Amino acid sequence: MRYRYLKSVPTLVAVAAIFALNPEPITGQAGKKAPAVKAWTHPETPWGDPDLQGTWTSDDCIGTGLNRAANFGDRLYLTEQELADRQGKLAKQLKQDLVETVAENQKAGTGPPGHWGERARRPCKQTSLIIDPPNGRTPDMLPEAKSRPIPEGAGNATPKADSWEDFSYYIRCITRGVPGSIFPVIYGNGQQIVQGQGFVTILQEMVHEARVIPLDGRPHASPNVRSYMGDARGHWEGKTLVVETTNFLGNRTGITGNGGGTPTSDALKLTERFTRVGPDEIQYEITIDDPKTYVRPFKVGFPLTQEPGYQNFEYACHEGNNAMFNSLSGARAREKAAAETANKK
Amino acid sequence: MKNTLAVILATGALLLAAAPLWAHHAFGAEFDANKPVKFKGTVVKMEWINPHAWIRIDVKGDDGKTTQWMIEAAAPNALLRRGWTKNSLLPGTEIYIEGFQALDGTNKANGSVITLVADGKKLFVGSSAGDPGAAPGAK
Repeated sequence: MRYRYLKSVPTLVAVAAIFALNPEPITGQAGKKAPAVKAWTHPETPWGDPDLQGTWTSDDCIGTGLNRAANFGDRLYLTEQELADRQGKLAKQLKQDLVETVAENQKAGTGPPGHWGERARRPCKQTSLIIDPPNGRTPDMLPEAKSRPIPEGAGNATPKADSWEDFSYYIRCITRGVPGSIFPVIYGNGQQIVQGQGFVTILQEMVHEARVIPLDGRPHASPNVRSYMGDARGHWEGKTLVVETTNFLGNRTGITGNGGGTPTSDALKLTERFTRVGPDEIQYEITIDDPKTYVRPFKVGFPLTQEPGYQNFEYACHEGNNAMFNSLSGARAREKAAAETANKK
Repeated sequence: MKNTLAVILATGALLLAAAPLWAHHAFGAEFDANKPVKFKGTVVKMEWINPHAWIRIDVKGDDGKTTQWMIEAAAPNALLRRGWTKNSLLPGTEIYIEGFQALDGTNKANGSVITLVADGKKLFVGSSAGDPGAAPGAK
């Protein structure tokens, strides 16, 4: 079964074609340049649109922060040395993942084993996912947004858990919102792009969203029609797919991985740009404009890559979400213990 | 039952190891860091469900009685990408598990360290494809 996917003839042909067409490192990857053999040309669909189809992942920027650490200042890209260091960390991580035995003095931690997650295949070149403003930081929030309740996410060890409704839409297996469904997280970063004449659809693995994007210039739906993932409209600017999404429900998901953080408002407008820059790489950018939440728009960007054999998997979430039951029963157990302690006093 | 199992329910032995976030919930919302458990069990079945897989195991106590426990494991799709499949942990396999019991006191725990009794190796180590995420079902 080893390398099962590479055994299929069509896959081998496809992989061989990719290598033949792309002897140079993929844009955004570290490595020595090989002599060019043949320039890559952007593929087109049979009806003449730029072809972005395939299953893409934001895995390479797993672990890169949305916000930039202050010591990097206005610098978006790592130096060669910093990139090499990050590569070294990835290599060390991979080595640790392959250690088959437990060290004698190893203590059980409260987190899952590292080797159960997914990893970046190559180091992310960026110092932050935010590419504008120049300091790579989320703009200040407006006072009314600061007071907006934040649903309980995975970061709170003692969540308010009076009801399942206290938990985030992600924890409830409902949605991660548009940015939260594509920003890199520790697993499940797959984005399958499927095109038809007049439409692009993006199937997102985790929590299983399907964004159907009309390209025919139709107007947005009535402002009365609102949803978690909004109302998307797309068009081509050269080879770039531009998607504008509005009509969001407010107070659902925020602008971080998995849609956590302060929820955005119903005034949110997202403008995404998908630009294929090589056979296996799309440069993705999203401008977040929410005049009821942030003092100014800001922009996030990172590469999406295609990897051999990578595909989206099924993600039925709600049916097996034992964590929700256990979190609610855990909160009740805490309350009971607290009441018993109080009664003893 | 708890006294008869080879279960450690140590108090005060808080293990404040670095705790990376489980993606779908906080450890502390479900499990009790003051209730570490450690025992041997026999796999009844592994449920390949999202957002996290669960392993059902039978645990035999010193009194000979068997109790079933549920052990929370990884996100199934991450395991698939590393090359593991539904045939990778079959019923009847004996495993050691270390973790922490559910806050509500039921027979559930997270799986912090799981090893195979047969050879002492950690469960679901490595990527059969040599590239995490690259070759689903390649094992």
